[in-house]
Amino acid sequence: MSNPFREDLVSRTRPEACTVVIFGATGDLTHRKLVPALYNLAIDGELPPGVKIIGFARREKSDEVFRQGLEELNRQVSRNGHDDEVWASFAPNIHYHQSEFTDDEGYRRLAETLDAIDRDRGGKGNRLFYIASAPEFFDDILHHLKKAGLNQAKDGCWARVIVEKPFGTDLATAQRLNRVVNETFQESDTYRIDHYLGKETAQNIMVLRFANAIFEPLWNSRYIEQIQITCAENLGMEGGRGGYYDKSGALRDMVQNHLLQLLSLVAMEPPTDLSADGVRDEKVKVIRSLRKWDTPEKVAANVVRAQYTKGSVSGKVVPGYREEDRVDPESMTESYVALRLMIDTWRWSGVPFYIRVGKQLPKKATEISVHFKSPPGVLFQSLTDSGAGGNILVIRIQPDEGISLRMISKIPGTSLRLEPVKMDFQYSTSFGKASPEAYERLLLDAISGDATLFARRDEVEEAWKFIDGIEQAWHQSGVPIPMAEYVAGTWGPKEADDLLHADGNHWRRI
Amino acid sequence: METMTMDSQLGQEVPVRGIDQALRQLWLQDESRTNARLINLAVYSESAGSLAKNSEIVRELTREHACRAVLIEMDRAAADASIRAWITAHCHLSGGKKSVCCEQIAFALTGVSRGRLRNTVFAHLSSDLPLIFWWQGDLSPIFEERLYAVIDRFVFDSSEWANPQKSFDAIDAALASPRPLVVQDLAWTRTYHMRLAIASLFDDPLAQQSLQQIEKIEITHHPRHRNTGLLLLAWFAQQAGWSTGAELAMKIEAQHGAKEGFAFDDAMGHPVQATLVADEASSSLASVRLLGKNLEIVIERASHSPHLHLRLRVGDHITDTLAPAGADDSGALIGEQLARGGKNSLYRKVLPKFRELLAAHP
Repeated sequence: MSNPFREDLVSRTRPEACTVVIFGATGDLTHRKLVPALYNLAIDGELPPGVKIIGFARREKSDEVFRQGLEELNRQVSRNGHDDEVWASFAPNIHYHQSEFTDDEGYRRLAETLDAIDRDRGGKGNRLFYIASAPEFFDDILHHLKKAGLNQAKDGCWARVIVEKPFGTDLATAQRLNRVVNETFQESDTYRIDHYLGKETAQNIMVLRFANAIFEPLWNSRYIEQIQITCAENLGMEGGRGGYYDKSGALRDMVQNHLLQLLSLVAMEPPTDLSADGVRDEKVKVIRSLRKWDTPEKVAANVVRAQYTKGSVSGKVVPGYREEDRVDPESMTESYVALRLMIDTWRWSGVPFYIRVGKQLPKKATEISVHFKSPPGVLFQSLTDSGAGGNILVIRIQPDEGISLRMISKIPGTSLRLEPVKMDFQYSTSFGKASPEAYERLLLDAISGDATLFARRDEVEEAWKFIDGIEQAWHQSGVPIPMAEYVAGTWGPKEADDLLHADGNHWRRI
Repeated sequence: METMTMDSQLGQEVPVRGIDQALRQLWLQDESRTNARLINLAVYSESAGSLAKNSEIVRELTREHACRAVLIEMDRAAADASIRAWITAHCHLSGGKKSVCCEQIAFALTGVSRGRLRNTVFAHLSSDLPLIFWWQGDLSPIFEERLYAVIDRFVFDSSEWANPQKSFDAIDAALASPRPLVVQDLAWTRTYHMRLAIASLFDDPLAQQSLQQIEKIEITHHPRHRNTGLLLLAWFAQQAGWSTGAELAMKIEAQHGAKEGFAFDDAMGHPVQATLVADEASSSLASVRLLGKNLEIVIERASHSPHLHLRLRVGDHITDTLAPAGADDSGALIGEQLARGGKNSLYRKVLPKFRELLAAHP
């Protein structure tokens, strides 16, 4: 039975009342992102009445202590600020469930608690399990959810699972994790979260491309010379991050998920519709079409890895990567990676996609720049020595989310001189209202059953297949590919610049 | 010789023929400011002193909605035709660093001279950006086809109308015009959060199953916002499938005191009694109560509270929650609506039923 009062009220799939169970509830993600996201949805009136939150974790804690901790953080990080009256109404819906992740009894009690909540809610037993624990517990949690029967949706209800990254550490582990997930939940009920896809500008890529008539006709190898995707961070291994990062590295931590997701949005064909599978079908084709390199030499010719050495970032002296806390002094983990990718499709034949991601770079910035070919030089060839260059469309993901277009213009005066000018659209300038946090959008989508902004199994596995080829060349070849170095606070190693120089290109100055 | 004045609210007075040049000068004075606009916002009033009041509203509105604002005050009763103009910019710090500014042009027009609004005022709109036209007060003869043919969204507040039937006739004519006009009644916008709250409570399957058990609905509103209460009632009746037409007109109860009653038949033919309560102490829309055999829904807003309090009881099943109440004042309502967009098709769907209720108790 549909709700007649919903007509025309919201232009999105309707969220339904449910219980959100968060595994790893005492962690930073729960306190800084997940609960504040749910709170902000409540403040905005987006959360349906009757939503309950259960934090599942190992430490001994009462509901009251758990809520206090969440409230403390919410006061600091909530996008909409903290309203005592709203919190007083929101907090009683939060409960703490103490259990080991491997304790059968803990899951049995969880099932009882969920049943009691469902009864109280009038029989509506929708459940969303959010696995925000350390990755080594993923299997155990999923296994025990199944054993306790919590993976089975009741009649007319749903049971969904959100899995945080990393989705494995290589193809084999990803396949195994996916197998475990899909033995427990249907693929259609599985939501692999990539918070980059929840960002406003990332969502705007499809709108920009397919809702504007002026871009799509030019969006191909005939008019585009190259595309660059940069994800720069001006942080290192602060806060004990080195322990996790040194086992992962830039390629697996960032490229396999966030950057290949952005790449697929930029390079995909128009989907047949905006359904989750319609969009994801096209995205996965892009990843599948990435040109693979069959020898370490070819990998070396297209991928540069590097570590930072001691330098200074934002005026502060910082240690080299190998001197960082919890990093192996002989580590061969990259803190920077640059790739030249080719997509073997009709549309992108011959267009290089350059991707770079790194730590301790001069500033924090994530952007996609689309470099158009220069027009025929018949008229202005003699004037282009000024370095005017071609048109560049820049999609800024963070910070200062927005879009800019570089064009060539005549400098006022009696002589004919050309210089680039920039048209700039900034979300913050044009829309004073702050965008929802990525986790708000993604949690609401999962509650509403919209998986468009979540990675599907085949996307994840295809991405790992591609990444594994590079990792194997780095770590298992007879002649290991050298690790380049860059001084912290610079834009990466010289080898990364050379990667583009070989094609007659250079990294865009950000 | 013209004497140009400086107004603390409206800015520098400029000759009408020199507005564009004066605006350029304004931006040359300080290059560190960013000029932003996504829409043209025209605010029209025939009340004396409206320019200063509307300039203040626009100043707040531009914090979230970058626009070129054009304020118009028209004195149609004046004997002589005249026109004066002022320009200023509303600037706000974006993200605590960048100064983002929106231009404002204010016009004071006197006397009757057809076409001046289109020919003079609209010549200063920013090209290619949509025109949102906010009409304050009763519609006058100025509102005619050649005016609304250039408007993309027409905003008005039917709560302000002394003669709603006549003004709604004019709106109906505009809606029937070949060029699609999106209309936005702020009296309807005021019901948004209450409608959202009702919808969210009826997401509950038990509440949905009890829809046919409703016997009474009571809506409390401020006396100045009767149309808001009536629009909410019309919407609820429309969506719940309650009966309309001649049968309804026969069942209208007499209006008495601060209460007025309406009678409906629900989709199963059961009688439903509706009451509108006007309360001086209430916000524009203070509460909705739905009562039935096994059902009780109460949505209340304490005066000036930013929240709605939602209570649902179906048998032993009880939920109690808060939801945002939304804005009450016109400027904030327009801001909310600009953020939401949409074509307001539901309003157009509800309008006939609303007008039936309005005609029953004019």
